[in-house]
Amino acid sequence: MLSSMAIYAFLVLVVYGAALSQTGSQFDILQMSGGMLWALIVFTSLLGLNRSFSYEKEDGCLEGILLVPLDRSVVFLAKATSNFLFLLAVEIVVLPLYYFFFLTTTTPQPTWPLMLIPMLVGTIGIAGIGTLLSTITTSTRGKDVLLAVLFIPLVFPLLYACVSATTVVVAGGDIEGIFRNSVLLAVGYDLVMVLLSWVLYDYAVSA
Amino acid sequence: MEAPAVQLDQLSKVFGDRYALKNVSLELPAGSFLSIFGPNGAGKTTLLRILATLARPTSGTVTVAGISLKDDADAAREQIGLISHNSMLYADLNAEQNLQLYARLYGIENAQERVDEMLDAVELSHRRLDTVRTFSRGMTQRLAIARALLHDPQVVLLDEPYSGLDPHAVEIFDSLLEAVRENRTFVMVSHDLRKGFEACSHALVLARGTKVAFAAKEEIDYDAFAALYHETVGMGVA
Repeated sequence: MLSSMAIYAFLVLVVYGAALSQTGSQFDILQMSGGMLWALIVFTSLLGLNRSFSYEKEDGCLEGILLVPLDRSVVFLAKATSNFLFLLAVEIVVLPLYYFFFLTTTTPQPTWPLMLIPMLVGTIGIAGIGTLLSTITTSTRGKDVLLAVLFIPLVFPLLYACVSATTVVVAGGDIEGIFRNSVLLAVGYDLVMVLLSWVLYDYAVSA
Repeated sequence: MEAPAVQLDQLSKVFGDRYALKNVSLELPAGSFLSIFGPNGAGKTTLLRILATLARPTSGTVTVAGISLKDDADAAREQIGLISHNSMLYADLNAEQNLQLYARLYGIENAQERVDEMLDAVELSHRRLDTVRTFSRGMTQRLAIARALLHDPQVVLLDEPYSGLDPHAVEIFDSLLEAVRENRTFVMVSHDLRKGFEACSHALVLARGTKVAFAAKEEIDYDAFAALYHETVGMGVA
């Protein structure tokens, strides 16, 4: 799964590079780079989340896990943690490529390393809500589309906050205001949605 | 007096506007073998999934091994083993690793000893290091029995366990069940009327989510029972 996600992320970056290679000098690539990075993260995470239960789905292993005398929120935490680590590993691969494609030919703000903060906060939220939704959709027909249809609207506030925070530190802007508020919004989203997913997990798996 | 192994009180399960189970009540004594019969869509598997805590009842109460599923599902799961047509085994792990994983999840003390014991019991010790993907259907089902009985459950649920087994594998499966039958309660969903009836001490017929018949085997005349079964099969789904 990790290699598929990394290859997919790399290919999307290559497509971005090709798509933007003919743009004129007035085109501010820095203003768009944050958004493109998050589009890449969201689509790569969808690929990973769709496959995160593939082993458990085979031969009913998820049911086997749900039969053990454990609080099912533990199963959620375990799966969300593994999804988080997979995403983090992909981002570690993607970040240098992102720098190479977008930040070497432009002059990013010296604050650009701060983008690690929204990346970390955003990844926690994506892994949390994504784990709940992928559990719900794993046994459905058309699960790939269904997961995307449920996932993207739900992560939209988080995505919006993370794109704002990333763009500000890369392209410049009100670090004290926009960056701080965006990160706080993302942290708040994480707290609410991850806790909600944790609490609802038992109901979601035994409806 | 010993508590019933399974107790259902006005159990209902609704999907949308359709009753999968409707006001089903019964008491099954400990040590019994209940066979559940009925046409497709009668609610058999739904009932088994509720007993296994994999589905939640819409209304009514369920008690397994004296433990209310609503009050303490975790404690009830310690007493429940489920064998279905899905093996619930990871195909890329070997037999031993699969049992070790479940032994750890169930918190079994002396896990390796118990894993060895179960592999011996299902005669798979010689294939312990082979991945499950390389097993035949019969071998996989034997390992699934080992997985289900690893934590020594008091109530064993069987969801069409003969599905996809060849006659030889069925024989092995039956002898394994016989060997572990003592002091356990079994609840089996089966489409095979004769086989299910031979094995059971109690029989339940469901149709359209309702209880059509429930009785101890000695109270049942097989021919009348078979006629009732065929009549309910003709009733179709709920």
